[in-house]
Amino acid sequence: MTDDIDDLVASHRDNVHEAPAHLKQQWHAAIDSAAALERGRESARTASWRPGALFWGMAVTAALAVGIAIGVFVPDAGHDTTVPSVVAQSDEPAVVPAAFTRGLQYHFRDSRQQLAELDVDSDRTMMILQLIEQNRLYENAANKNNAPDLARVLRAFETVLLELAATDIAPEDAEALRAKLSFELNVMLTKLATESSDKSHTT
Amino acid sequence: MKTLARIIFITTILGFAANSAAQDDNEELKIAAVEALITAPPDRALPLVNKVLQGDNSTELKERALFILSQIDREEARETLLRFARESSGELQEEAIRMIGIGGNRDSLATLMSIYESGDSEAREAVIEAFMIAGDSKALLEIALVAAGDDYDEAVDMLGAMGARDELRQLREKNGVSEALIDAYAISGDLAELRTMAMDASDPDLQAQAIEAMGIVGGSEVNASLVQIFRDAKSDDIREAALEGMMISGYDEGVLELYRSTDDKKLKKKLLEQLVIMDSDEVWNIIDSALDGGL
Repeated sequence: MTDDIDDLVASHRDNVHEAPAHLKQQWHAAIDSAAALERGRESARTASWRPGALFWGMAVTAALAVGIAIGVFVPDAGHDTTVPSVVAQSDEPAVVPAAFTRGLQYHFRDSRQQLAELDVDSDRTMMILQLIEQNRLYENAANKNNAPDLARVLRAFETVLLELAATDIAPEDAEALRAKLSFELNVMLTKLATESSDKSHTT
Repeated sequence: MKTLARIIFITTILGFAANSAAQDDNEELKIAAVEALITAPPDRALPLVNKVLQGDNSTELKERALFILSQIDREEARETLLRFARESSGELQEEAIRMIGIGGNRDSLATLMSIYESGDSEAREAVIEAFMIAGDSKALLEIALVAAGDDYDEAVDMLGAMGARDELRQLREKNGVSEALIDAYAISGDLAELRTMAMDASDPDLQAQAIEAMGIVGGSEVNASLVQIFRDAKSDDIREAALEGMMISGYDEGVLELYRSTDDKKLKKKLLEQLVIMDSDEVWNIIDSALDGGL
């Protein structure tokens, strides 16, 4: 089970964007067959072992076993989901809609609270993976709302969250990462609040 | 006036704390003081951040100060981050590199390339991550074109995560197919490239991996292709990969179609097992029929 969660974390590490709806549906369907896969996989497989097969198989197994939508983000083949380059981003007008800023403040506060309540028991990893999903939504929103600077911060948060999600992390390392993230969340919350009072935003 | 009072307060805390850095009780206070610097005007905040960075403070406190620097839009702040990225080592260097990624300044990011070239494995990994944070796919391609081993895989992973299909295609043209590249194609959703690799039998292992990876992309086009690949397969490994792809894609209808269209009992047994694993809605009817001898 721990290995499965590790693979789930790995699958999150490899994925940044939101999945198209049809893919989410497929993964939900895959999740539903988790128990069956766990039971039948070993006996069903007779072919020679391939690392790739194991990777994909276990990634799915992990999703199935833990029973959550993992938000694998395979971009829709018909759409350009590439993260805008830093050069392109720097030319964007820096007008950030106030509604987005308020939403982001909520996300930061919520993340901070969840990190504070984080337990060392087995659902710690799942809670963090849910935080990552939420973080990705806001990262996409930041890119769409002329806030490349905030998108970069959110991507940086995700790398810390992924480290924190690892099941084999030492308690002291987990605590250090949690403290680091809490600090950065606090700073960003304060910065957003200060900017909101200093600048006029569009709504 | 309120700001001035706050600055004096922060300065006092940092000054006091700098003389007693080893005391845990003071560490939290110092961190709170550094955190409060985000509210200070840059001209006020920068000297205090520099004081923390130059003082005999813990690595943790200095890392917090570096984050504050990343949020200050001043040349002096960027220069300090670059200096730490170049001249420090270990966690502090890695954190400074991360902050340059967060800052997203193109000149600072360009400097990271030289740090990558001269840095140890931890620093190189931090640079790759910083380019991902900055969304700089061109820089990651540049690294992937010259990197080997873990560095190459890491850069390719990041390109896949960023959906940088053009860069991944350039990598394939230059370096050929690899497991890391196939994974990245799947993650970036580049079905056209995956299909090309799935048809290339020159390396059966990579071919099988590409077929499985098509399942990650999913969709009706992929599903139809996987059924066709299964039917046309010349080896068990390729058939197995196509089945694996259908399982990942959740295409139980395809497995059912294959089950119904074959007379090979051994294959039927395997496909039935697969349908059970996939929890197909039709599986109970098939089992019922099988038990009645009507395979």
